[in-house]
Amino acid sequence: MTGPEDTYGDEALAAEYVLRLLEAPDEQAFEARLREEPQLRALVAQWEDRFAPLADGLPGVPPSSRLRAAVLHAVGAGPAPRSGWLSGWRDRPVLRPVLAAAAIAVVAFGLFQSGPRDGTATGYRAELASEDRSVTLLARSDASADQMLVEVTAGSPPAGRVFELWLIADGAPGPVSLGVLDAGGETRITVPTALLAALPAGMLAVSDEPPGGSPTGSPTGTVIATGAVEAL
Amino acid sequence: MTPREDIERLIARVALRDQSAFAALYDVTSAKLFAVCLQVLDHRGEAEETLQEVYVRIWHKADSYAVTGHSPMTWLITVARNLAIDRIRRRRAATVAIDEAGAVADDRPGPEAAAIARSESSAIRACLDELETERADAVKRAYLHGETYKDLAQRYDVPLNTMRTWLRRSLMTLRECLTR
Repeated sequence: MTGPEDTYGDEALAAEYVLRLLEAPDEQAFEARLREEPQLRALVAQWEDRFAPLADGLPGVPPSSRLRAAVLHAVGAGPAPRSGWLSGWRDRPVLRPVLAAAAIAVVAFGLFQSGPRDGTATGYRAELASEDRSVTLLARSDASADQMLVEVTAGSPPAGRVFELWLIADGAPGPVSLGVLDAGGETRITVPTALLAALPAGMLAVSDEPPGGSPTGSPTGTVIATGAVEAL
Repeated sequence: MTPREDIERLIARVALRDQSAFAALYDVTSAKLFAVCLQVLDHRGEAEETLQEVYVRIWHKADSYAVTGHSPMTWLITVARNLAIDRIRRRRAATVAIDEAGAVADDRPGPEAAAIARSESSAIRACLDELETERADAVKRAYLHGETYKDLAQRYDVPLNTMRTWLRRSLMTLRECLTR
């Protein structure tokens, strides 16, 4: 580097490096120095911090859901893309035993149910639990199927977070929110009529979300507890 | 936006190979990082491929996040932007081989037209506003679109060295504004 621009020294060089303005040979020379000079690394970090709000201010653009599956698959956290979101959930370690149990429960129910069944839940219950059972919840129908009572029987959300309840219906494109749970005691939830038929073969899940619930309409926090719905 | 500590906690769990934390991190940050890739690449398909690369990088590098000293979003944005620029450089290398004399400057909308959401806490934005419009625009084009000195010199029709002197001066003015 020669010329009047050198007046500004490493400070400007670091900014140019961060902006990716350096030509390949200069960039490589700078990177060689970076490995040796902590104060140069500090200058780079400062410039990265200064510019990042420009990018952070961009309005978000949601990528396709196919990409999500591909990304999770790429790190071994999901099945091959295009096989549906439920399989993605199925691969979550937390869910695996629960889903297996749910499958058994569904088969058992199919074998041993006595009365006729029209596909609409009249009475049902679900026990939700985290893997270590530090969080457990009980969900059950009240006077009618669309009235669900949900009680947190153990545990609480992390500080500053709330529990949100989700219905994972078989074959649905994604979890559907049933609402945010009250901090203490029992929450009464009115299940939308359109979801009633999906309840008996469904799973319930609780995730922790920011106050007011997930801003995206899908779980954004950790799925803390899950449980299969059993028809009564 | 998800609070900083939440993203930090997720990154820490990703470093421990927690796949559900990784999925959650993807869910809260992918729209922003996709926007960053799209700004640089201006091509949805390429931006999606790059975004996948970005998250694979995050998965493997999450354990090095803590030593960067960055806020979690700064780290994620830096990873995304750098990989997007790597990609555009590869694309350009290929294009230049085909069309040696090809003009690189395009006429896509500038950063201002790209509907950048204003964040009130953005000191950089306020300081850019203190620069002459064209100079602020040049800095934003370099950061958000990965434009090079050559691109910028063509765009503003000035010799390369003049462009470099301009931009370096703008950067020093910016730094002064940001540290006062």
